[in-house]
Amino acid sequence: MLDLRSSTGWLFALLGVILMALGVFDPGLRASLTDLNVNLYCGIVMLAFGGVMLLLARKHS
Amino acid sequence: MKLAPVDYLILAIYFGFVLGIGWRLRKSVESSRDFLTSGRSVPVWITSLAFLAANLGAQEVIGMSASGAKYGIMTAHFYWIGAVPAMLFVGVFMMPFYYGSRARSVPEYLKLRFDEKTRGLNALTFAVMTVFSSGISMYALGLLLQLVLGWSFTASVLLSAAIVLIYTFLGGLTSAIYNEVLQFFLIVLGFAPLAIMSVVKAGGWSGMETRLPSVMTHSWKYMGDASQNPMGVEVFSMVAGLGFVLSFGYWCTDFLVVQRAMAADSMSAARRTPLIAAFPKMMMPFIVIVPGIAALAIAKMNIGYALPLKGDGYDYDQAFTTLMSHFYPSGMLGVGLTALMASFMSGMAGNVTAFNTVFTYDIYQGYIHKGAPDAHYLRVGRITTVVGTVLSIMTAYLAQHYNNIMDLLQLVFGFVNAPLFATFLLGMFWRRTTGHGAFTGLLTGTAAAALTHGLSVAEHKGGWIAPLHQFPSTMAQNFWIAIFAWTSCFLVTIVVSLLTKPRPAEELQGLVYGLTKVPHDVGVSWYRKPGPVAVLVIAVLLFLNFWFR
Repeated sequence: MLDLRSSTGWLFALLGVILMALGVFDPGLRASLTDLNVNLYCGIVMLAFGGVMLLLARKHS
Repeated sequence: MKLAPVDYLILAIYFGFVLGIGWRLRKSVESSRDFLTSGRSVPVWITSLAFLAANLGAQEVIGMSASGAKYGIMTAHFYWIGAVPAMLFVGVFMMPFYYGSRARSVPEYLKLRFDEKTRGLNALTFAVMTVFSSGISMYALGLLLQLVLGWSFTASVLLSAAIVLIYTFLGGLTSAIYNEVLQFFLIVLGFAPLAIMSVVKAGGWSGMETRLPSVMTHSWKYMGDASQNPMGVEVFSMVAGLGFVLSFGYWCTDFLVVQRAMAADSMSAARRTPLIAAFPKMMMPFIVIVPGIAALAIAKMNIGYALPLKGDGYDYDQAFTTLMSHFYPSGMLGVGLTALMASFMSGMAGNVTAFNTVFTYDIYQGYIHKGAPDAHYLRVGRITTVVGTVLSIMTAYLAQHYNNIMDLLQLVFGFVNAPLFATFLLGMFWRRTTGHGAFTGLLTGTAAAALTHGLSVAEHKGGWIAPLHQFPSTMAQNFWIAIFAWTSCFLVTIVVSLLTKPRPAEELQGLVYGLTKVPHDVGVSWYRKPGPVAVLVIAVLLFLNFWFR
């Protein structure tokens, strides 16, 4: 049956890459109440989470 | 709030993934059991997160952050006194009977334990209630997206319903459960950054304590007297009404959540499902309630953020979305919005899958067409999925045009639900309880709830018989209605049971405490046993209640 870990992993890795790309290529993109590069940091976290899920899926397959 | 093309791209990717999961799971559905009960084959980490996510609708996210801004950290009682103790109880004490009875649904358990009429009453009211509540949350979502994004009500309602329908139609309960887990991760990763940034902006917890009245940052300190806190609720009705009657009634008897645990691959996994789910559940207040409190604190700092107004007060329901648009740039904003849609979809899929199982097994197979081959019930299950979705959409439109009817219906559903836990408690732990007792108890409890509402007034609600008593808030009124309903159901069930003929013990094997063998897990590590996991949950729970007292 479908391994949910790999689907989750791919989704968040993909979202992470998109957000990181935004953070790197358009670092001026900011919301009004924060000076942080939100897209970059959240992208890194999501990519890391996705990566861990993919690793777990590989370990069990 | 303005979305950029990348936000739409993120939303589209998410939709692609949920549909893809449904598509890939379509081959695992061969029988009605696969479609409606997942064939009892889902790993425990998946059932646990689905158990949590099925209950975590968009209304909860928006509503809980609104309550956070309105009542403060006291709102966490809905988790730390409300949900979690009830989740422990259903896992440790009740799951052996649900799972061990081999019943396919909660109403079917009532049939095995009591009789046909008790099951019929429960199945019918549950089926109607699930369709309506999924329609009402669909309405809330359409309204919200219209308000913050200017999307058309019809477009957002139809699109989200169509996606939920497709993936539940293809892969059944398994598909709904798998997607709920994806939705859970998206909710956490999409909302947690907002919670962290808003709290840091407000100067941390201590900054919020200095900017806000003390009642907003203490959960227990002002509970002694109803007049001291904005909820208008005192400690007894909070603990007995919310903590005991309402929460146990929901988490221990509502098939929507119990169904997720019953899909687990073993008895031990079924019992641990609500226990493992309790850990993330206890942490949810930090993601959904605390941002609401922070929003109020930030609004007092005069740095360009204000809570939107509605009439002569704040529009608390917009606290969460306005916060999101002030902290998330395009990109992350898309993720946040996708998480909101995901929370709505997980709640709706929960309703749809619970509805189709109860309709197919308890109403169709029970009363309309018995003894057909399984392929027939699989087809009925699939058709019911479509019908349930269509009925929900119709309810959403009904709610848009006739708000008063919806309020009335929700009130009546509350009356029906309030006494339920008394019936299950007696049914599972006192073998003398009879079907006549349970049925009469349920009817009496519902009548007692209606009577309490008719005889009391709160915020101009109720009192349609005679305004004999005044409650400080509708919340207090609801809690007391529940307490009276539960107590009268409990007492009447006992009295009528003693007057009627009990069922012989051999018919109650596997259904009642004392006549059910609970397998002991020998030779597995402690964290795979329900008992130790429950103790750990209690420890964390006590700590949270103490820390935010």
